[in-house]
Amino acid sequence: MIDPDTDLVARAGQGDRAAAQALMARHLPKMLTLARRMLGDAAEAEDAVQETFLKLWTHASRWQPGKAKFETWLYRVTMNKCYDRLRRRSTAKLDEAAEVADPALPADRLLENAGVASEIEKALADLPERQRAAILLCHHQECGNIEAAEILGISVEALESLLARGRRTLRARLGHLKNE
Amino acid sequence: MEEQNYPDGEADALWLAGMFRELPPVPVTPALQARVLASFDAVTERRRTGLRGLLRRLGETVWPGAPAWQPAAVLAASLAIGIAAGTFVPVEQALADGAEQPGVVALDALPNFDLGENS
Repeated sequence: MIDPDTDLVARAGQGDRAAAQALMARHLPKMLTLARRMLGDAAEAEDAVQETFLKLWTHASRWQPGKAKFETWLYRVTMNKCYDRLRRRSTAKLDEAAEVADPALPADRLLENAGVASEIEKALADLPERQRAAILLCHHQECGNIEAAEILGISVEALESLLARGRRTLRARLGHLKNE
Repeated sequence: MEEQNYPDGEADALWLAGMFRELPPVPVTPALQARVLASFDAVTERRRTGLRGLLRRLGETVWPGAPAWQPAAVLAASLAIGIAAGTFVPVEQALADGAEQPGVVALDALPNFDLGENS
């Protein structure tokens, strides 16, 4: 199968700004959505995505087509950046700091927090990291099971197990939303 | 969403897809786009001015249009031939082949300088 990004990556590796812009237009929204749902924080998601693209620009000239699908590699890097941040966050106990900061949120954000979307985001955020990653990749980013397993570096069976547990937990948490 | 005759996993997946449709899209801000492009410019500039960029430009001057490995391979091959010749060709043979004779200098002889004292 021909990877549609191969040519763009090669050109970006040679310093072609238009190719870099095209890559950004194709992948930035998806990467940002993934990072935002994984981290639950807009600023951190932007930083994670920027780091991902920095890694892409640094490695673009050495990209070897055929080894892995470019998008799969990009998802994997984004995921790893998110894991790094989650790990740092847990060691620094920033969860408490975030709770303290809540009253200072802007009015539109507070309104948004009251909605269904925020309830879904909260339920997602409460899932264990790996389950959340599997759910987001397969149901939100619409990756196939094989690709998602490759991104997470696990077997398809392990991915399916994560998906099943994640779905059950979310349904138990959010079931009332669709029954209203 | 009504319950239907799907197996459990598939029903959960469909239900979840409906749930995710409720999530608002995450907007990409122009500031983020600018930051990402700025990082591209910085990497490109660093690559252009760094040692690797210098070597690439040198390769481009020596052999325009060729990938970097071609001038590198030719240089490596010529270096290998030179080293092999220096190692395996006997000195006597190399000297005999040429018209030049080796200069002999006696290190224990007195220096014989003529500074114009005898003229």
